[in-house]
Amino acid sequence: MHMADALLSPAVGIVMGAVSAGAIAYSVTKVKKDELSEKKIPLMAVAGAMVFAAQMVNFTIPGTGSSGHIGGGILLAGLLGGTPAFLSISAVLIIQCLFFADGGLLALGCNIFNMGVIPCLLIYPLLFKPFLKKNISYGRLSVSSVISVVASLLIGSFAVVLQTLASGITALPFGLFAALMLPIHAVIGLIEGLITAGILCFVYKMRPEILGSARSGEMLKSDVSTKQIIVFLGVAALIIGGVGALFASTNPDGLEWAIAKIVGGEGLQTENAVQNGAGTVQDALAFLPDYGFRNGENETLGTSTAGIIGAVCTFIFAFVTGFIISKAKKARKKTDDGAKNIASENKNSAE
Amino acid sequence: MKNADARSFLIQFETLALGKTVIHKLHPLTKLMSSFVFIIGVISFKRYDFIRLVPYLFYTVIVTALAEIPYRVLIPKLLIALPFCLFAGVSNLIFDRETALVFLNLRISYGAVSLFTILFKMYLSVSAALLLTATTPLTELSAQLRRLRVPYVFVMVFEMTFRYIGVFLSEIRSKNTAYNLRNGGRKGIRIGHAGSFLGQMLLHGFDRSERVYAAMQLRGYSREEIPIAKQPFRLLDGVVLAVVCALVIVFRFIKIW
Repeated sequence: MHMADALLSPAVGIVMGAVSAGAIAYSVTKVKKDELSEKKIPLMAVAGAMVFAAQMVNFTIPGTGSSGHIGGGILLAGLLGGTPAFLSISAVLIIQCLFFADGGLLALGCNIFNMGVIPCLLIYPLLFKPFLKKNISYGRLSVSSVISVVASLLIGSFAVVLQTLASGITALPFGLFAALMLPIHAVIGLIEGLITAGILCFVYKMRPEILGSARSGEMLKSDVSTKQIIVFLGVAALIIGGVGALFASTNPDGLEWAIAKIVGGEGLQTENAVQNGAGTVQDALAFLPDYGFRNGENETLGTSTAGIIGAVCTFIFAFVTGFIISKAKKARKKTDDGAKNIASENKNSAE
Repeated sequence: MKNADARSFLIQFETLALGKTVIHKLHPLTKLMSSFVFIIGVISFKRYDFIRLVPYLFYTVIVTALAEIPYRVLIPKLLIALPFCLFAGVSNLIFDRETALVFLNLRISYGAVSLFTILFKMYLSVSAALLLTATTPLTELSAQLRRLRVPYVFVMVFEMTFRYIGVFLSEIRSKNTAYNLRNGGRKGIRIGHAGSFLGQMLLHGFDRSERVYAAMQLRGYSREEIPIAKQPFRLLDGVVLAVVCALVIVFRFIKIW
């Protein structure tokens, strides 16, 4: 479910980055206020690393031939509480992006939002915790795990759909895109939910105090009210919704363009009228004013053969440059090594 | 990605980051900022702008060559990012069939152009991020994050998580082997055993974190932030950053063809 840089527009990436950075800052202040937090830092790191490693383990589902692995957000939240879990999943996502090419540098904001903010700061306090408010039992723990994981994956994958479409990179119509993404993630969520439930029940059986402290730790802090989280997420949703709507409706590459294209020419004309009007507004408001410089898709492609040949030449030229630099470096190393050898030989003979 | 691969990836990157080339010696801020500016430049192109993206290839090729990063390390990682991009790109091929141009009697559709654009953008952005980590040791990167006022608590969690990933990957590998040896020749771990398999590990992890915390305290760890050394920002660092930014902007707005 990792978003990639290649599917993102800078505006969506930067807005989501700002939202996620805000969520991290918020969680850091919350964790700092908690007296236990000092002790929790290694715990957060260990749990995060553990979840990362555990994602490599595939569990087979008997009779189906398929397999699944754990997700992370809800499991961590169940063990550590919402805000610490969010920080540790964010660290994991950054490491995945930097060292494993899973997601991208600019897509980090999206990924932290989809896989961190949604399960830890939204689903955990609003869905997972209320289930366990009265008392913890295996049944409650299992049901709340499965429901929470399914819900966070569904909302997360829906966010991926919205972010991709708002970026205007894919021509997939909104309905079809959502229809492809959501059922797949519902099934994945069910499997991940079962595994998460298994782990949480096991931990509860062996060391009930761990789940208890995560629960009470969150409850003790009266200042981390659900209200605050809702307000924060509401503001975030507003920003995202605003920017998303602006782009989806004004960007001729976006989803309406695709829908209009599928519907036929009639729709396209009215769309264009709307787009032109909104486009001028957007040019004035645009986060990165690249629209003024945009050459329009058709013009770009109108360059045809000459452009393609030029591009191919640049391609070759770029790789030749790289090749020459590597060769030159190797040659220099060799001569350096040779000089060193001669020097050491001279030294030896002198001795 | 298999467990063993993940471990070797980490080791490979840590080793590469210890290099002593011109790129390795650059200030981490320069590398961080240039990567960001470069990626923003790349992804700001529209979906049919394939041709205009080509000059950006110079950045990745030159940095790869100067930093002496082998392509056999970079390319397998690009494949990880491929599936989702391919999914979005191939759908363009299906929904966007109008002919964009005819090249040597070959009809190329808008969908094909956008597919190439997505894949090329993926190559450029993923390589830029990987080149950053392959040329900057984690300690330098996190020191830079702190200089940029990223909260200390978060940087610490980030650094420690990275350190523990290696530990847990090897632990999971031995557990996997142990399970398989007792599995009567059946493949994989049954989902019913997930709870105790990973739960045990988690509990061990929790105990370990307490020991880590105790060890940290014995070594004088307190809530106060550990001061970080200043790394001088040389003229060369500034020049490189300025040149990269200027070129990214020039090729973004000036149309060559």
